[in-house]
Amino acid sequence: MSLVEDSRIGGLEDSGKETAKGAKSAKALTRRSFLGLIGGVGASFALGSFTTLASASQPEFGPASAGAAGDPFEPNAYLRIDPDGICTITVAKSDMGQGIRTTFAMLVAEELDADWSKVRVTQAPGDRNTFGGEGTGGSSSTRTKHAMLRDIGATARAMLVAAAAKKWGVSPSECKTESGKVIGPKGQVLTYGQLTALAKSIPVPSGVPTKDKSQFKIIGTAKSRLDNHDYATGKPIYAQDISVPGAVHAVCLRSPAFRGSVAKVDDSAARKIPGVLDVIPMGDKIAVIGTNTWAALKGRDALQATWNNPTEDVSTQTLHDALAKAVGDHLPMPESAKVIDATFDLPYLAHATMEPLNAVADVREDRCEIWVGSQGPDSVQQSAARATGLPIDKVVVHNMLLGGGFGRKSGGDYPAEAVDLSKRLKKPVKLWWTRECDMQHDTYRPMSHHSLKGAVDSSGNPVGWSHQMMQAPSWARDDSWGGPGIWYAIPGAKMKQGGADTPVPTGAWRSVENTQINVVNECFIDELAHAAGKDPFEFRRNLIWDDRLKKVLETAAEKAGWGTPLPAGSGRGIACFNGYGSCIAHVVEVTVKGNDVKVDRCVAVIDVGTAVNPKGVEAQVQGAFMDGVATALKAGITIEKGGAVQSNWDTYPWARMADAPAKMEVYVMDSGADFGGMGEVGYPSSVPAIANAIFAATGKRVRKFPCKIEELV
Amino acid sequence: MAVFKINVNGQAHSVEAEPDMPILWVLRDLIGLTGTKYGCGIGECGACSVLVDGEDARGCQVAISDVGNKKITTIEGLSKDGSHPLQKAWIEHDVPQCGYCQAGHIMSAAALLHKTPNPTDAQIEEALGSHICRCGTYVRIREAVKAAAGSAR
Repeated sequence: MSLVEDSRIGGLEDSGKETAKGAKSAKALTRRSFLGLIGGVGASFALGSFTTLASASQPEFGPASAGAAGDPFEPNAYLRIDPDGICTITVAKSDMGQGIRTTFAMLVAEELDADWSKVRVTQAPGDRNTFGGEGTGGSSSTRTKHAMLRDIGATARAMLVAAAAKKWGVSPSECKTESGKVIGPKGQVLTYGQLTALAKSIPVPSGVPTKDKSQFKIIGTAKSRLDNHDYATGKPIYAQDISVPGAVHAVCLRSPAFRGSVAKVDDSAARKIPGVLDVIPMGDKIAVIGTNTWAALKGRDALQATWNNPTEDVSTQTLHDALAKAVGDHLPMPESAKVIDATFDLPYLAHATMEPLNAVADVREDRCEIWVGSQGPDSVQQSAARATGLPIDKVVVHNMLLGGGFGRKSGGDYPAEAVDLSKRLKKPVKLWWTRECDMQHDTYRPMSHHSLKGAVDSSGNPVGWSHQMMQAPSWARDDSWGGPGIWYAIPGAKMKQGGADTPVPTGAWRSVENTQINVVNECFIDELAHAAGKDPFEFRRNLIWDDRLKKVLETAAEKAGWGTPLPAGSGRGIACFNGYGSCIAHVVEVTVKGNDVKVDRCVAVIDVGTAVNPKGVEAQVQGAFMDGVATALKAGITIEKGGAVQSNWDTYPWARMADAPAKMEVYVMDSGADFGGMGEVGYPSSVPAIANAIFAATGKRVRKFPCKIEELV
Repeated sequence: MAVFKINVNGQAHSVEAEPDMPILWVLRDLIGLTGTKYGCGIGECGACSVLVDGEDARGCQVAISDVGNKKITTIEGLSKDGSHPLQKAWIEHDVPQCGYCQAGHIMSAAALLHKTPNPTDAQIEEALGSHICRCGTYVRIREAVKAAAGSAR
């Protein structure tokens, strides 16, 4: 079983259906549908063909085509092979650090038998008509697109083979392919680049089989990211890096409270700042326009504003009280069983992407061009068309690299703001949300309060589990008892969800509700094991019904040396998670000294079914674990006077290098299951493994996050 | 507004700016070198790190009026073609995830290796410990710095 995957992730409403759709369209690459996509390419290139004024348009990575003479072979919107053999794969999902560009390129290149050194990636613009839903989140990209991408590679390969066979006058079945070349029965060789013109004339075959896993040469191998060189050399790859002639710079002063609005503003001092061009009150914010960012920032600081605040009474304390009050009766526990209970409190979490929110928009009478790093560039295009009244084909959205996303960049608020300003000013606008704007006006992971009851019988078997999760705001569809979201066979186990009203905006944060449910469940199952007098690893293992999960848990325990002694003051904790088509287990060692917790070691074992790029999987697990360290021990957003208290890294302390364990071991297991998800998977068991390790070290349970050792009882 | 003559990556630039404008914005908005990133504006994250006469500096905390004749080096000027040992190690070790903080990390690491060619873990942590990588690539950053130190030897 898996938890309900949240539909709040922007643009992902159709992610479940996309699997079928992707598979269907891939399976049905008839001439009409396959070539139909060419129409899409034509349309999208026509779109981009008006003269862009900027220094960069769509990001491209990998070896450049020399632009050799001859026709490229461009069977659809996703693939182009140039006469010099460069294979360009267009990626219509957003890369926010998860390396999806490289993953997608590997999926196509595998079936194409491409020469990996000649594979290049280009980012798709926001364009739903050509690429379908481009919403990126919920660890869905590989899961929903692998079949389509592999079919594209396999079909193109079949056409290249047919082209070579035709030239040699042999049967295609006598030919084989290898690393960008077709090899004939007598050892003749033609490179894909040499075949582009001929391949175009080959009828598109349908139902071309894809490889059996045993034939994989690229999938499953550790590949370096195709865009590494650009990161390491400072290439202009993020939205704000582009240069648009005549652009003005904008920042906003925002209401200190979530539902506040401008009451009065005195902008006389701001307008005197050299370089300040304009001050525009916009309801819940005041935009300051400058000739450069610094002028706009200084202007913003010089504003004298007062705000209406209809939710001034709201604070973390009032929200906590409302959530605690929303807890009702627990399910009855069996008589004569040993019953334990606990409450857990989790704070709002800011996404705090390394790249603060920003967008560049250029709205003209007859067109609109946007540069943004978005998890839903197709939605940005649709919203901008509505906001400007322009036809959809006159709105071009360049989806740039995202300097982190974690769910926040599914929101359309920041590009919409840039479009609004550009429309008002009739000029290109480069809009920054300052770090303070970004952190204080996030769509936060909700604050939650959890009340749990559990029971074990005299033999130490669990016989009761009742979990009430109350969050602000509630995301529950109803308040009935439902599945508990645990991985363990406990009779009668159930969870119910509810909550309380809040002015605090919330949204998906890496792994969404699993950031709360799995964290709390994995802490409480540990408590139940303790109450049963059982080892927390053995207790879990005996109750897990999913074989893949059991295997990763066992492997994690084995790799970590579960049960071997640690020095006094140190402890070892375990936790696991099953979701997004993947399974993971963490074993963590910590040392608690005074009020300081040092994470000494992390062992993570992950089964993503078939790992496309194990190097990328390892990176995601390492990174998500640092999110776990940060949110288990350091970061949280609190509310006072209806607004966020924390505003920057000085008050929202994140994990830094010293917080990274000296040893971080990631084992990628291949269960042979279908391609699983990755981006979200690394987080949900990281936090409870740390909390359980703190218990092992101190004998005290962590019931409130971020954990403060001095508050533990 | 005043005119400042500054040297960035070996090139002379003349820019008209308010004296208090941080070099982060001078580089990005006036000169068009965008490899240096805005992350916090208060010197807390290190995304804007550059070299000022070889010393590690936060671009958001150094006003243009304080630069004078000092030479600024940004990620774009670290090497012509990405061949600096740190850049090569970064690529080799697949350090970046979202990549946004990486230029800052590389520049601070460059300052470290310039002074301390064979840093210990503690010295690496001291030099880079005040940076933030929101993707949590710290383990690989440590490995890459050590590998670069080794290859520079």
